[in-house]
Amino acid sequence: MPSSPEPIRRRELLILDTGPIWELVLFHAVDQFGFERLRRELQFIKDQQSYGRCGQFIGSFRRKTTSASVVAELGYQIRRPKLGGQEKLWNRVYEEFQNMGMDEEVIRLVEMSRLLVVRMGPVDVSLLELARRHADELPVVLTVDSALYRECMNAGLCVSLLQELTAIWEPLPK
Amino acid sequence: MGSNIANPPTHSRRVEAWVWAILNPVIDGLRREVGLLSKGNLSWRSYSRNFESIRPIREYIEATQQPNYEDFLADPLNVTFEEAFKKHDEQVIKVESCAARFFDGLMQTEPFRTQVAKSLEEYEAKLSSDDPQYPKLESFRGEIPKMVAEYLINRTEVLPQHYMTYKFWEHYRSQFGKFLKDEFEPYRERTSFQTLAVAVKTLHDDSSKLLADLINHRQMLCSTYDIPAAPVPLDRGNPIDALFS
Repeated sequence: MPSSPEPIRRRELLILDTGPIWELVLFHAVDQFGFERLRRELQFIKDQQSYGRCGQFIGSFRRKTTSASVVAELGYQIRRPKLGGQEKLWNRVYEEFQNMGMDEEVIRLVEMSRLLVVRMGPVDVSLLELARRHADELPVVLTVDSALYRECMNAGLCVSLLQELTAIWEPLPK
Repeated sequence: MGSNIANPPTHSRRVEAWVWAILNPVIDGLRREVGLLSKGNLSWRSYSRNFESIRPIREYIEATQQPNYEDFLADPLNVTFEEAFKKHDEQVIKVESCAARFFDGLMQTEPFRTQVAKSLEEYEAKLSSDDPQYPKLESFRGEIPKMVAEYLINRTEVLPQHYMTYKFWEHYRSQFGKFLKDEFEPYRERTSFQTLAVAVKTLHDDSSKLLADLINHRQMLCSTYDIPAAPVPLDRGNPIDALFS
């Protein structure tokens, strides 16, 4: 039983964009299985420390979910011809989803704002819609995309950037 | 033509293809393999009943390069490798089947199933609280014995923190792990565990030797036929390179 005297900060729902899932998949493939050629694909999770910080943040939420559009976008990433190892990468995606207990929901195109889809694309809009659908669970959106970040802020939704979670905190010089 | 096959010319494109498309990915694959085997991480998965990252040699090579692979094996210059690759692949299959036998044994052993159930019950009763770091594992219940067996086969020490079973494994790893010392005799799986351990050691030793032989062979080919060990990127700032890019 955790014995921390501090009250546990209740975090209910995390909504994951493609970028953070892709970084988790790649880092595991590089770090655990030694697929060194994938290292150059990593942008934000480059070492155990940043992986740990990201894992701790995700693990602090009771539920994790994403949209079916994000899964399709992961498919585009994996299909890039120069990447190779498609089967292994899909296996990793399956394992990430299973191991983190990821839920997945479909947001139909006709349910999305046409104006927003034109401006941001259906993947980002599906995440905004997910956040609205689950507003009572105080969801947090996790992304690497600063445009989606701004849109969430403008819509009054909680949002975190992976690059801020994984950045090494350094005290300012005196 | 016959003499060309037996003795390729300097800067031979054929030899270049062997080095870049065959030897380099196989050397990379074997390096990963030896690294994983040294740590005891077999990357074995119960859903596929094979290793995620330790594969037969042919699978380390891109599908489009299979003709070059066959050409490499057919040439007398590389004569020793067909046998060595075959031996490696047979050993991979052997270790996979030993891991599967050990896994099946654990799954069927009453003491193992009882201990998993007991640990899970204890976890649910004592550890699950409002802290999301201790998630309820109801939806995993049927999978937990398989997961624990997989963790034991792969010598998993710490799971990533965002995995649902992170805290469960953090608390109960040592309880399951202590059976490693007794070679799983309490689960009546000593024989299958020992067979797996011997097969892993043999694969590790064979792969290490094959890796060293392939590195030496690459060095020999590169120096004899005067070719770089990997493609050299063109300098686009150089007008002559730019013409060919």
